[in-house]
Amino acid sequence: MPPPIYPPPACVTLTWLVWAVVTSGAPTSGNKDREAVKQLAGGDHAAIAELYDRHARLLYSLAFRIVRGQADAEDVLQEVFAQVWRQAARYDTSRGTVIGWLVTLTRSRAIDRLRRGRLQPQTLDDESAAQAVPDVAVAADVQLVTAEQASEVRAALEALPDAQRVPLELAYYEGLTQSEIAGRLAVPLGTVKTRMRQALLRLREALAGRAP
Amino acid sequence: MTTEPNSHDFLREQAPFYALGNLSDAERSAFETHLNGCAQCKADVTAFLAVCGALAQTVEQHDPPAALRRRILGAARRAPEAPYRLSALAPWFAAAAMLVVTVGMGMYAVQLRQRVGNLEVQLRDALVRVDNGERRITVALRAAADAQTPLAILTAPDLQRIDLAGQPAAPRASARAFWSRSRGLVLTGANLPSLPPGRVYQLWFVTAQAPVSAGLLKPDETGRLTSVLDTPSDIPAPAALAVTIEPEGGSPGPTGAKYLVGLAH
Repeated sequence: MPPPIYPPPACVTLTWLVWAVVTSGAPTSGNKDREAVKQLAGGDHAAIAELYDRHARLLYSLAFRIVRGQADAEDVLQEVFAQVWRQAARYDTSRGTVIGWLVTLTRSRAIDRLRRGRLQPQTLDDESAAQAVPDVAVAADVQLVTAEQASEVRAALEALPDAQRVPLELAYYEGLTQSEIAGRLAVPLGTVKTRMRQALLRLREALAGRAP
Repeated sequence: MTTEPNSHDFLREQAPFYALGNLSDAERSAFETHLNGCAQCKADVTAFLAVCGALAQTVEQHDPPAALRRRILGAARRAPEAPYRLSALAPWFAAAAMLVVTVGMGMYAVQLRQRVGNLEVQLRDALVRVDNGERRITVALRAAADAQTPLAILTAPDLQRIDLAGQPAAPRASARAFWSRSRGLVLTGANLPSLPPGRVYQLWFVTAQAPVSAGLLKPDETGRLTSVLDTPSDIPAPAALAVTIEPEGGSPGPTGAKYLVGLAH
């Protein structure tokens, strides 16, 4: 004879219910971003506001750091959100986080603007020459880290010798190629590569918490 | 350190630059080809992408101006109504097209069936008319042939005329036979009494041996008679012709009363 099945005690049921409600009603920020992109793809304008309110400060600050001007930074952000709106339907949610995509877009658009602006004094009215500048070759979407990890990286960056930090900043915030950096700093190309690699490895260690 | 451009050691050194977006197009595609099959380089790239994310997060933070939010949201609202994906609409277009094609085919099929039905009716009418025509032609040909036969007999060179006189059973009856051994016999008669049901007149060749039937006779209501009969060419020459009354269908030899008799010359 099988043992009788008793109903679970009320407190167990209640705990389970609370847990279910809390977990289902509390999606992570990443999931919310994906939902917002899906809504955009479906033509829902309101989702832009959601993405803007969550990430505009970070994106604006990055653009500002790269183009070094409020008006240009605003233009960059407008371009980025217009691109998000246009490409939401084609966005593959499996490729990475939405914020990684947004940061990559912002950096790419900002460096693009910077390079065109740099070119303009020489070509003044030559619109086609400005447009011929290739888009920044950004490999893949970056991955955001926690605030703690970010401050570790910031401390490590500031602790780097100038010889390592400057080439890295020229590459990351100005989109210069390795040859351009070598030319700008008047050091051999091989040396530039070595110093940049050392800098990135040092930051990677800081991020992994293996800093000495 | 090796400098072989496609070796793992060489390509692995590109990982930080790849994450930074600092490779030329050629270098990037060479590295991506290697990356697909190299777990170690994948792990490196993931780590360096986090470094690059952190670099974005380490910049001095500024609040964007409030007007920027209004501009961006306004632009989104003015944007062309939802960037419809063709891929999302394609099934509907296909379904609509299928529906149109199906309805069109259905209507066409109904039209065809109606036309086929009409044509079938017309064909049946035409066949009936052709059939009737053929039947009429057959009748006409037979009539023509029937008309030819007495003429051929009456103009035969071996024609023999035999007059038949009424007998006591029918004293007013009379008949005349024209016989050609080669072509047949024509018999005309008058005043033949009408017969009771189940009885017919039968014509006999009375020969030396026994009477031979030459056929059955059917006078009209007024007692007039015109008959064309085939006679076998080997029939014995008759001494006389006689007409008797017989049961329906005729008899092998005469059984009933004689109505007409005529001697052959």
